[in-house]
Amino acid sequence: MGKAEQTMSFCLLGGKLMLRYGGETYRVEDTMYRMAKAAGMHNVNSFVTLTGIFLAFRTEDGQDYMQMIRVRERFQDLSKVTSVNQVSREFTHGNLSIEEATNQLTDIEKAPMNYPLWLIYLASGVGGATFSFLIGNSFPDILPAFIGGLITTVSLVLYQKFLKVKFFSEFLAAVSGVLAAVLLETSGLVQNMDQVVIGTLIPLVPGVPLTNSVRDLMSGDLVAGVARGAEAAVTSLSIAAGTVVSLSILYL
Amino acid sequence: MWLELLFCFMATVAFGVIFNIPFRLVWWGGLIGIMTWFIYSLLPDLGLSQVNAAAVAAFTVAFSSHWLAKFKKVPVTTFMIPGIIPLVPGGRAYSSMLAFVEENYVNGLGLGVETLLQAGAIAGGVGFALSIFSIGKGVGQRYETHR
Repeated sequence: MGKAEQTMSFCLLGGKLMLRYGGETYRVEDTMYRMAKAAGMHNVNSFVTLTGIFLAFRTEDGQDYMQMIRVRERFQDLSKVTSVNQVSREFTHGNLSIEEATNQLTDIEKAPMNYPLWLIYLASGVGGATFSFLIGNSFPDILPAFIGGLITTVSLVLYQKFLKVKFFSEFLAAVSGVLAAVLLETSGLVQNMDQVVIGTLIPLVPGVPLTNSVRDLMSGDLVAGVARGAEAAVTSLSIAAGTVVSLSILYL
Repeated sequence: MWLELLFCFMATVAFGVIFNIPFRLVWWGGLIGIMTWFIYSLLPDLGLSQVNAAAVAAFTVAFSSHWLAKFKKVPVTTFMIPGIIPLVPGGRAYSSMLAFVEENYVNGLGLGVETLLQAGAIAGGVGFALSIFSIGKGVGQRYETHR
C-alpha cells in the first residue's frame, strides 16, 4: 500500500470514529484536514455531513485522491472522541508515525465501552433521582424516580439489542419507564407524579445531538446542524409519544 | 441550597457516566454543574426571569467548558453536554404535554412557548460563548472587506 492510500485510510478511520461516537462535524473536518496536512498532502478538502464523509487531497507528485464513506451507525460514547482527538494531536505534532497512529485508532475502534453497562444503569437511576429532586424538592419521590430512570435505560438497551430500530426503541423505553412510574403511583408510593415522570425520562434526553446541533449551526456547518436538530426533534417526539401512551392508562 | 448543589453535582457526574465521558474528566463536569445550578437558582431571586437565568447559566457553562477544554486539551463537548443538562426545561415540557393530553390547548401552547424560549435561551448562551472563543477565525462574513 502506497503512502497516499495509507494516509487516506488513516484519515477516514479517524473521521469515521469521531463522527460515529458523537463528535461535532466541524471537529471531524478539522481533524482530517490536520492529519492529511501533517502526512504531507496538499490541497486537502473534506466535507462531512451527519451520515457520510468525503475527503480529497493531492499527493506531492501531483496525483489526486478522493474517497467517500458512509457512516450508518451513531453511538453515544464521548471517551472515544477524546481518544481519537489525542491520537490526532500527537500525530500532527510528529510524536507518532502513521503506522503507530493507525494501530492506536484500530485499538480504539475495537475497545469496549468506557464504563460497564451496570454502571451506566446505576448512573441513569442516580441521574433521574437527583434531577427529580432539583425540579420539585421533595424527598419521598427520590426512590420512585431512581427506579423509573433505571427501568428506562435497562429497557432501552434491551429493546435496542432485539429490535435495532433507534426511534422505536426510544419510544418503547419511554413507554416502559412511565408505565413503571404509573404502577408506583397506583400503589401509593408517589407523592408528586410530575417529578417522578421527569426523573424517569431524563436519561433519554438527546443531549449530544442537541449540543452538537447548536455548535454546528454556529460554526457554519448548516447541513449537519439542521440534520442533528431534526434527529433531536424526532427523538423528543418519540419520547413524548411514549409518555402519552403510558399516562393515558393512568387517566382511563 | 447546599443540598441542591450537592444533588446537582451528583446529577452532572451521573450524566457524565451516561454519555461515557472519561473517568478523569467526569469530576470537572460536576464542578461545572454546581456553578450552573448556583447561577440558575440565584438569578430568579434577584428579579430576573427564568429564561434570562437560563441564558446566563448556559453562557457560563459554555465559557468555562471552552476554557477548561483549552487547559486540558480535550474536545469542548466533553464538559458542555453534561453541564447544560440541569438547564433542560423538563418540567415545562412535561406540563405542556400533559395540557395537550387533557385537551387544554391554550394552556399547552403557552407552556410550549415557554419551553421553546428556554431552549432558545440555552442555545443563545452556548452560541455567544462559541463566538467569543472564535474571535478572529470566524465564518460567514457579510462584506468582503479585506481585499
